[in-house]
Parts: sequence; C-alpha cells; structure tokens
Amino acid sequence: MLAAQVLINALVLGCLYACIAIGFSLVWGVLNVINLAHGSFIVLGAYGAWWLYHAFGIAPWYALAIVAPLFFVFGYAIQRSILNQVIAAPVLVTLTMTFGLDLLLNNVMIYFFTADFRKLTLSPPVGSLSFGGVVVPVDRLIALVLALALTFALYVILRRSRTGRAIVAVRLDRDAATLMGVDVKSIYAIAFGIGAVMAGCAGVLMALIFPISPLVSTAYLTKAFVVCVLGGLGSVSGALAGGLLLALIEGVGSVLFGPALATTLSFVLLIVFLVVRPQGLMGRKGFE
Amino acid sequence: MDRTRRNLAATVASAACLVAAGLLASAAPAAADDVIRFGAPLPLTGPLAPEAIKQKQGYDLWAEEANKAGGIDVGGKRYKVEIVYTDYQSNTPRSVQATEQMITQNKVNFLFGAFGSGAAKAASSVSEKYRIPTIAAAASSAQVYDQGYKFLFGTFTPNDTLTTPLTKLVREKAPDVKKVAILARNDLFPLAIAQELEKSAKANGMEVVYFEKYAINTLDHSAALSQMKALAPQWIFVTGYINDLLLVRKQMVDQQMKAPVVSMIAGPAYQEFIDAAGQSAENISSAAWWHPAVRYEGKDVFKSTVNYVKLFRDKYKATPDYAQASASAAGAIFQLAIEKAGSIDPQKVRDALASLDVMTFYGPVKFGPTGQIVSLEPPVFQIQGAKPVVLLPAAIKQGEFRLGVQ
Repeated sequence: MLAAQVLINALVLGCLYACIAIGFSLVWGVLNVINLAHGSFIVLGAYGAWWLYHAFGIAPWYALAIVAPLFFVFGYAIQRSILNQVIAAPVLVTLTMTFGLDLLLNNVMIYFFTADFRKLTLSPPVGSLSFGGVVVPVDRLIALVLALALTFALYVILRRSRTGRAIVAVRLDRDAATLMGVDVKSIYAIAFGIGAVMAGCAGVLMALIFPISPLVSTAYLTKAFVVCVLGGLGSVSGALAGGLLLALIEGVGSVLFGPALATTLSFVLLIVFLVVRPQGLMGRKGFE
Repeated sequence: MDRTRRNLAATVASAACLVAAGLLASAAPAAADDVIRFGAPLPLTGPLAPEAIKQKQGYDLWAEEANKAGGIDVGGKRYKVEIVYTDYQSNTPRSVQATEQMITQNKVNFLFGAFGSGAAKAASSVSEKYRIPTIAAAASSAQVYDQGYKFLFGTFTPNDTLTTPLTKLVREKAPDVKKVAILARNDLFPLAIAQELEKSAKANGMEVVYFEKYAINTLDHSAALSQMKALAPQWIFVTGYINDLLLVRKQMVDQQMKAPVVSMIAGPAYQEFIDAAGQSAENISSAAWWHPAVRYEGKDVFKSTVNYVKLFRDKYKATPDYAQASASAAGAIFQLAIEKAGSIDPQKVRDALASLDVMTFYGPVKFGPTGQIVSLEPPVFQIQGAKPVVLLPAAIKQGEFRLGVQ
C-alpha cells in the first residue's frame, strides 16, 4: 500500500515538475539563454492566481486564460527590449542579465506583496480522492490535468503552427533558419514569450498547491534546472521524463533513506547525468 | 557594438560611484553627543529577510517609544535612541564583519545580536572582543551562551523550555498518546527543538516511531507523510519555518492524515500561518517564548503587554508575535539597564544587565550566569476558532486543550 501511494505521489508530482520546467527548457533550448528569472516568473504567476481568486473570486483554472496573454506580452517585451540586445554575447552575459532581472523582479514582488507566505485556499476545499487506501489530492489532480493540457498545447503549437516550426528551425540551426527567411529576433521574442506563458501558467497551478512567497522562486528554479538536465533540453517529452524521474527518485529516496537525503540523491543523480549522459534522457532533439 | 560596450561600462562605473557615495554617506556617524547608538546587524535581504523585518519592527517600535518618552535617562541627562542597521544578506560570515564594522566605524554603544542562534554565536565573538554589551533577541540554543562570554545576553530561554511543558500537557490531557512521529527541518534551531522533543517524549514513556529530517527548500513532503501515516502515530510533531509548516499541513490534509495531537514549531505563533492555513490550522498546538495573550505589568517603557500590543497594532496594523516582542524587549531591557547603571559605560551597563531582575511587558527578566534569560515561562498554545488560545502556564490559561486534528 505504501509503495502504491509513493508511486502515485511521484507520478502526480512529476507532472507538476515537468510543468515547472517546460518553459525554462524551451528558452534554454531555443535561445540558449539560461533564464534565472524563471522561478520569479512562476511566483509572479502564482501571485496573479492568488490575487484574481481573492479579489474577484476567479478560480485558478479560469485565471489561466487571463494570466497567459499577460505573460506572453511580458516575456515578449523583455526579450525584445533587453535580452535581444545581448543575445549574441557569450552565455555568461545573458546569464548575468537574467540574474539581474531575477533580483529586480524578486525585490519588486517583496515590495508589493511582502515576503510573508500566502496560500490560495479554495473554498470549499476540493479534498482528496481515495482509491482503496491510496489517496490523491484533487487540487493536484486538477493541476496535473491542466499541466498536461498546457504541455500538449505547446507540443501541438511547435509541431503544427508556422511559428512553432520556425522556433524549432531556429533551435536546430539559427543560421540556416535566417537564410530561409525566418525573422530570428522575432522568433526569439515569441519563444521567450511562450516560455514566460508556461512559467506564469505553472505559477497559477502551483498556487493551488504550494505556499506563495517571492522566497520560493529559487526552489522552483533549481527543480527546473534538475529536470532539464535529467530529461534533456528543449523538448516537451524531455521535461516530462525529467520531471517524472526526479519525483520518483525523491519519493523512493525519501522512503528508503529519509527525506533529508532525498534532495541530495536527486543532485547526485544530476551529477551522474552530467558526466555520463549530458544530453539527458531524451537526447538533444528539437521540438518535433 | 564597441561604443555600446563603452557606454555600458561608463554607466556601470558611474552607478558604482553613486552607490559607493551613498554607502559612505550612510556610514558616516552622526556627530551628536546626546545620542546612544545601538547597532543591529540583520539579514534584511535573502532568505531570512522576513525574520529580519520582524526584528526591525520590534527595535523601531522600542526606539520610537523611548524617544517619545524623552529618551533614555542616564543619571539625570536624557539621551535619544538611534538604531544603526546593517544588512548582512542572510550570510553568517558577513554578520561577523557587519558587527565589527558597527563597532569600529559606526561607533555604536551597544549591540543587538545577529538573527538566529548560528549568526548570533558567530558575531558574539567580535562584540566580546570589543567588550560591547550585546542582547541577542532571537537566539535560543544553549551553545550560543556557553562560551564563557561576559557581554552577551539573550531573551530566549533554552529550547527545552518549549518542548517540556508541551509534552507534559499532552501526557496529562491525552494519556492514550503513545506513538510520536517527528519530522524536522534539517537546520540548527528546528532540528535542535525536534531532538529536545524526542528526549522529553521518551522521558514521558512515549515511543518515537518516526524521526526524520527534511532538507531546506523541500517542495514536497508526500513521501515522508505517506510513510508516517502508515505508522499511525497519535502525536505528529513537525518543526520548520512557516513555509515548510504550511506545506506539510496542506499535504497532511491531502493525504487525509488525522491524529489526536498535531504540534508545530515555529509557525503557528505567526498570524500569517493562521491566515494562510485557514481551517487546517484548527487544533494545531505549539509553544513560543511569548504570546500577545500573556498579561504582564512591567517597569519598562511599554508598561504592559496590553499596551505593547496596542502600540504595535497602531504602528504596524498587525498583531505582534514573539519575534517582534523579543526585539522590542531587548531594547526595553537595555534601557532599564542603562538607567539602572546611570551611565553608558559598557562595563557598568554589562554589570547592570547581569544583575537585572525586573518585570517587563515581555515577562519577568533575569539573566542566568551564562547570560541567557532564565525567568520566562514560555506559553503553550493551540489554534482554536482561528485564534491562538493559551493553555499553559496555568496563570494565564485561556482555554482547554482540544484533541483531534482532522
């Protein structure tokens, strides 16, 4: 029974981890930008959900429709105005830039929301489902379904739409894409915008589950990082595989070696992957 | 490109100059003789920032009240209070530098200790070297005070003064509780308090069926909780800070975990915990060094607990918790000691602190031979009807212990 519960926990958590990581993975894969502000984007999305729920009673699943376009504009504007200026510079420059952006965003959030922890508590609470002793919290289930839906939508956009194909083309070979007439700067901005949308939506979904504070942004960022390394960069399936693997390692590790070592274990695995299989589980393919 | 870079370099350089100038300006000591300067190194940015803000609120309120009353009376002459803050960015080694800088450059007369047991201990070596009386307002571990230092005092009693009365209460009111599960944040204070609870639970004939640590920044506790649930403990004790405890509590509800007694330290003492946890906070028990429900009439500038709570609410539109009260108390205690010494001579004030035996809004204040306060009896309380209700000590009891956490 414990084993079944731990597996279910890991499955649910893994999908949430994938949701946290997918925008980060896209931006890293396509733009070669390690967006250190990704965690803060997620927290900002979570505040959006919290505020919409408490001020207007808008449930998080509807809040997605409001948050997503705003984050697209936000991400697009950041890429166009700031990151595109340094996109050709060595990776350290963009890293420093997003680090600065993260500090700025984080402190602005502390200023407006304070560092106090808040919680989006649905009223009435949605409770948990019980299947013969194995418990699944409904809010996590909702978040999971929506996360999978968003991930699938991203997959379809990248696969079917003209812009999506252009993003993949830029991801695979920037110079060739330029020669084919792709407006790389615009594609960069769109990709970063989509990355921001995924982060903002992840934040909305995480608000259902985790306490909200600017201080948790680092935790999200580190999870995204580990998921990307485990699963491989820039692909939807990679983020899912990485998320599931990480959650499974943490869950099983926690039961076998105690929760204190579970996180350590996940980072040990990270190092092993970096040495043995740096391309991650799903390889270095683009968004096909 | 080249020009852009040069422009960028120029901008960065000028910004650096501005920042440096600002730092110099803020570091220059005010040349006034009728001022007593208190140094407060705090982690104003970084992960401990919320705690530092609480400390700062406590100090500021004290400084404001002391100055409103005309300042500190030193042998008939009135001195204004000035607090100098330095941000050590939640970085313990930097708290040591910050403390030294305050003594040598800012010329502070007295010091408040850095936040938490770890940083307070590290920084106390500097204040001891310069013989500056220091009151640590947020350090409880005995290891901070057993260094033989003469100039260090603390307003938190040792950790076991929180866990012993809690265990006693559980044994009395819930004699059927035999199996205890403990989940502790792997961090100095939360782990120390969990170990104290383990000790007192065993001493009271209970069986500790689960004792595990979780890493700082853990985002998910479901595996640990599932494992705990399978052991069917009657008393679940979780330590950590407010975000950890909110998350654990939420996941306990998710996993449909129930127990006669659920205790958490150190979140439920904060109003944010009750606000954020909502219904799930009901019947959670906890202990803290101070609580707004205690009732003391003091000789300090705040006069009474009731008055202190009122002043705090007027200024910050929030109810003070033990962290803020302890900071205010540290200031008020300094004031009492300075007035008793009739001097701002460090040695005399130190001696006055060591021999202090006085009632304050915070409770009775008397420091033991190590400098740690020995006179406080920390209240045990339980969240009932979205409000903390004091269960112990008996003299200020507000309600009965309720069993059953859903």
